[in-house]
Amino acid sequence: MNPFELRNPDSVAAASGAAGPARVFKAAGIDLLDRLKERIDDPDALVNLLPLGAELGGIGRSDDGTIRLGALVTLQQIADSDALAAPGLRALREACGEAATPQVRSRATLGGNLLQRNRCWYFRSAAFQCAHDGKGDRCLAWHGENRYHAIFGVVDCLRVHPSNAAPPLMVLGAEVEVQRGEARRRQPIAALFPDSPAAATAEHTLGADDVLIAVHLPAAAARGGSAYRESREKQSFDWATTAAAVHLGVEGGRITSASICLGAVAPNPWPVDDAQSLVGEAPSRELFEQLARRVFRRATPTEQNRYKVEVGQAILVDALLAAAGL
Amino acid sequence: MQTDGPAPDRTPASRRSGGFSRRSFLKGASIAAVGGPAGAAATAGGAILTDAPRDTGTIPAGQLREIALRVNGVERRVAVETRTTLLDALRDGLDLTGTKKVCDRGACGACTVLVDGQPTNSCLMLAHDAVGREITTIEGLASDAALHPVQQAFVEHDALQCGFCTPGFVMSAVACLGKHGKPSPATLRHELAGNICRCGTYGRIFAAVQDAAGRAGR
Ligand SMILES: Cc1cc2nc3c(=O)[nH]c(=O)nc-3n(C[C@H](O)[C@H](O)[C@H](O)COP(=O)(O)OP(=O)(O)OC[C@H]3O[C@@H](n4cnc5c(N)ncnc54)[C@H](O)[C@@H]3O)c2cc1C
Ligand code: FES
Ligand code: FES
Repeated sequence: MNPFELRNPDSVAAASGAAGPARVFKAAGIDLLDRLKERIDDPDALVNLLPLGAELGGIGRSDDGTIRLGALVTLQQIADSDALAAPGLRALREACGEAATPQVRSRATLGGNLLQRNRCWYFRSAAFQCAHDGKGDRCLAWHGENRYHAIFGVVDCLRVHPSNAAPPLMVLGAEVEVQRGEARRRQPIAALFPDSPAAATAEHTLGADDVLIAVHLPAAAARGGSAYRESREKQSFDWATTAAAVHLGVEGGRITSASICLGAVAPNPWPVDDAQSLVGEAPSRELFEQLARRVFRRATPTEQNRYKVEVGQAILVDALLAAAGL
Repeated sequence: MQTDGPAPDRTPASRRSGGFSRRSFLKGASIAAVGGPAGAAATAGGAILTDAPRDTGTIPAGQLREIALRVNGVERRVAVETRTTLLDALRDGLDLTGTKKVCDRGACGACTVLVDGQPTNSCLMLAHDAVGREITTIEGLASDAALHPVQQAFVEHDALQCGFCTPGFVMSAVACLGKHGKPSPATLRHELAGNICRCGTYGRIFAAVQDAAGRAGR
């Protein structure tokens, strides 16, 4: 790591004011230190968010049933939280409890997990220059090693979104709260993930001085059933190769609401609009397998990642069955 | 782990009494390197600046500053830069070399220490972020009289070959037993999933930790 200045702000507004293009936020630093050690980033200063635990920490449940997850809450705190015990929120607990390793989960923050940069090995290596890191003119994975890369939504770059927390937060209808200077704003979590053309070089829509404050869950998220399933090459440690988060409402033997988001298959968390076709149906393995086939028929795999089409269907069916309690 | 009084200094005598070990040479060499032209003014003629107040203000780049870390129940002072990891502060600054550096990227678990009781990759934590936290390393587990039950079980089960992964595994196991008491085999595997053993001694490691859990319960 090259030397950097370490700024310890005493308020969120001060943190926002201290940040800029070459002065980046640090939460636990797990993703950031990795990038600094690999020398794919070389900021002048790190703006440390850890001193702001009073404003950015904690899991809180209001009387109206809404839940606030501070940006500095750790993945392990989410996995173990009593406030998130409802079956409707299980996908989030499962996704955070399965991510990475105990040593990473104990420090990795929710904000850092959502905003971590992608794991494409060309992007993560200073030896390669690609279009996404702004130093090259093309995506090297297209004609290179692409077995962990995207099968949906590819426009310019084959990377996949690496976050375990993002797909469940998408199906739970989460909102993110962001502060710039003194001003706070709230937006649906989907707005955090960029469309083309911004997606060519960015992985989220926050400005350099935007601090992610918290993630909010609506009361409705706790109702119904939910589940998260992922595949990976090893049983532990690694990022997912495919992932599915599901939230289902079931009443009187019929599905009343359905929301699905896939992970690790597209540059952004990948919501499945087809989930709506489940509403009104009786949950069954056949129904879920049909849906999974329809969803993955639209995949556009590259040379080495065709396995994701098969594996992704199985993972989605598993998640649907678990969310439906079958 | 410490019951009363300051912990014994576990630094080997050869290193303590002005003995010239490879490590103290390396340490000196690295301080000299940053005390060169770029760092000279900042470090006021080679002297190490003492503590910035925790959590406020700005710590300049490329400067050695002394911070206080609470390690194995004892407050230790160590000179670090902003970019120094907790792992490097422990190994190179405090001579606590039981904690191992293998991947330096969070991908092996050899550097596992407990921070406020939580298993942590010390290679991915800045030393500055460890100020005010309770750090336990492998050196802090045994009392003078006896090994920690997990260490003892590793010895009895011969749960190591080269031994390089062992300190990290022991720390993860201690954290796991602290959290779960007597973990099921599935829970144990989940909680030890952040450590890799290249020699493949997993079977004996799981058996040792299960055994240690049983003993602690008796
Ligand atoms: C071995 C290993 C395995 C892993 N496996 C998985 C896995 O299976 N699934 C998974 O999802 N992740 C995995 N990870 C990644 C890990 O979860 C992330 O690195 C971690 O969550 C990042 O959180 P952090 O607090 O350390 O963020 P930092 O590294 O501090 O920050 C990450 C980025 O987010 C920005 N940032 C952080 N917080 C804020 C905020 N509040 N406001 C604005 N910007 C902010 C920073 O500027 C930085 O660019 C793994 C990591 C390792 C080392
Ligand atoms: S050295 Fe820290 S995890 Fe490998
Ligand atoms: S005993 Fe050699 S790496 Fe585990």
